[in-house]
Amino acid sequence: MIDENRLKILTDGAKYDVSCSSSGSKRKNTADGLGNAAFAGICHSFAADGRCISLLKILMSNDCVFDCKYCPNRRSADVPRASLTPEEICELTVGFYRRNYIEGLFLSSAVVRNPDYTMELLYKTVLLLRTVYKFNGYIHLKGIPHADKLLTQKAANLVDRMSYNVELPSEESLKLLAPQKTKKSIFTPMGELTAGRAQYLAERKKGGGRVEMKGLGRYLPAGQTTQMIVGASPETDGKILRLTQAMYRKFDLKRVYYSSYIPVVQDPLLPDKTAGLLREHRLYQADWLLRFYGFTSEEILPEDENLPTEYDPKCAWALKNMQFFPVEVNKASVEELLRVPGIGAKGAYKIVSARKHATLTFEHLQKMRIVLKRAKHFITCAGKFFGSDDPETVKFRLMLAERTDSAEQLNLFDQGLLPPADAEKFLLRSTPQNALAVLTGQL
Amino acid sequence: MRNLYYVDGSPECFFTAVFEAWKDGNAYLFSQPNIQTGLGDSWHDVTPDPAKAARVVKKLAALDSRAPYEIDCILRSFSDEKEQIAFEYIRLLVQGGVPVRERLSEPVARRAIELQQKVGAETHNLKGFLRFQETQGGVFYAPCAPDHDIVDLLMPHFVSRFKTVAFVIHDTKRHVAGIYDGRTWRLCATPKNAELILTEQEDGFSRLWKQYYNQVAIPERKNTRQMKAYMPVRYWKFMTEKQGE
Repeated sequence: MIDENRLKILTDGAKYDVSCSSSGSKRKNTADGLGNAAFAGICHSFAADGRCISLLKILMSNDCVFDCKYCPNRRSADVPRASLTPEEICELTVGFYRRNYIEGLFLSSAVVRNPDYTMELLYKTVLLLRTVYKFNGYIHLKGIPHADKLLTQKAANLVDRMSYNVELPSEESLKLLAPQKTKKSIFTPMGELTAGRAQYLAERKKGGGRVEMKGLGRYLPAGQTTQMIVGASPETDGKILRLTQAMYRKFDLKRVYYSSYIPVVQDPLLPDKTAGLLREHRLYQADWLLRFYGFTSEEILPEDENLPTEYDPKCAWALKNMQFFPVEVNKASVEELLRVPGIGAKGAYKIVSARKHATLTFEHLQKMRIVLKRAKHFITCAGKFFGSDDPETVKFRLMLAERTDSAEQLNLFDQGLLPPADAEKFLLRSTPQNALAVLTGQL
Repeated sequence: MRNLYYVDGSPECFFTAVFEAWKDGNAYLFSQPNIQTGLGDSWHDVTPDPAKAARVVKKLAALDSRAPYEIDCILRSFSDEKEQIAFEYIRLLVQGGVPVRERLSEPVARRAIELQQKVGAETHNLKGFLRFQETQGGVFYAPCAPDHDIVDLLMPHFVSRFKTVAFVIHDTKRHVAGIYDGRTWRLCATPKNAELILTEQEDGFSRLWKQYYNQVAIPERKNTRQMKAYMPVRYWKFMTEKQGE
């Protein structure tokens, strides 16, 4: 069994990677194997920062030859170094999996010696895990830029998901902060994996759809993801979202993660302040609009290229496009419902199936747990309107709705988005007098 | 003025009661013996009758193939009103003649679906939150105390995962356990106290896991509230990483 100290160092090096999802794969167990994958993914625990833990997220080694400025494991940093052998990783994974601590392994590594050497060790590890340990649980493998194509393809045949992190949203920033990486070194392998997946699917179709569905030999069933650091370099939200959209279209990525910059290393080229969670939150909201709500980045982005901070991107879009509203919930198409602020994919589905059987009223929607504090300004229920006609009031209410949302509310004040006086007004909202004042708009 | 139908908690008894109470407009089905009875309420003890129960189940399945599963979930709930909600849902289904789960404007359908979703959600959560320990006999043991009666819903999931490894999932609240011997599984009642002898490496793995759990959090982004929202404190009792906090 490995010692706690190495586990500590190698977990520390991996924890800034956001992705921890275990979804998208239906890998089955073999007759004498261990584990399978659940298509929806399963969260096994939640860490003190509120993030889900579903995979054992760990570096094989943090002994890096690259010198990326933002990375705590860069060559020039003076940090303790540690490595694990393929056998050690396998034993730890299987031991954790048997106890149901985890759903699988998320294996990443610093670039040891050179990219090919590192990729070969990673490949050896997953091969060992799949064949000798007969492990059929979820494996997410981080790709190593510049590594040999054949090695990468062989690894892709064994794991459920692979990812290459873009990290910085422009070539200039990469050059400045991650001198050994280029746009090409990241996008080329991404493209090769997309092509490999397409080829695998075509062959499976030819073989009647039943070729090697079990265990070994499925090619990245859960696809690829990537990650960008937000706030370490000067790119606008517009630049980030357009790149996101292009990657979804070109590489068929399953997800793009955003990681708000945290200054773990000191460098004159890097900002010394945390980028703040609000910007990251807005980017995720916009990302969801791109993937599930039929929006394009052109629609969401305002002229100044940055997403508004006061309310979510869908609200902002709706306020600029009031000619589409209000929509009648009993008649509107799913696409129209999805564009109503506050109505999500689930809500839209509930409305569409419930209205087949009855004309829906405002009370029905409330009982169905559709959140209406934003939506009411944009819908009519059986012809009746319950929102406000005055655009300024609507704006104000939407901002207020944003502030009463639990998760991010305090960050608005933390980041000084509101002057302290205003902040105090909103923080005092819990008394009955205040609540009344809020409703009558006197605050 | 209700006619109270007291059932013993088994699905068979519940379906028998549905059969017997079908034409009774004032029927109220329940299994919780400490019910508050009102003046003029009359009490019936229902005796399970396989033939009657089978007829109800058959009718249900004919109208909506998913309904028997939904009713099964509802009856596992810890809600005191579960039998009545399930009964009203069946009535709505039979009156409608077609599946009614999408009629969310109907209070009956809504309550039934909500209850069923709660049971489903806890089953999903426990697939993640359950923690096994290796005992010296080589059997993996996982205690839990779920809100709803779901141990047998968890078993198939872990059977297909662990395949060759024997394990036990123990509901310490209801004193039942699902036992898998490496080939088949069954459900059985358990004694109130049982002694566990764990393997030596068990302690090592649990220490490594705690180390990992504490290390993987980003200290700058501490968010206890969100953590508790996703992983309610009531589940912590049996979770390795939350011991000794």
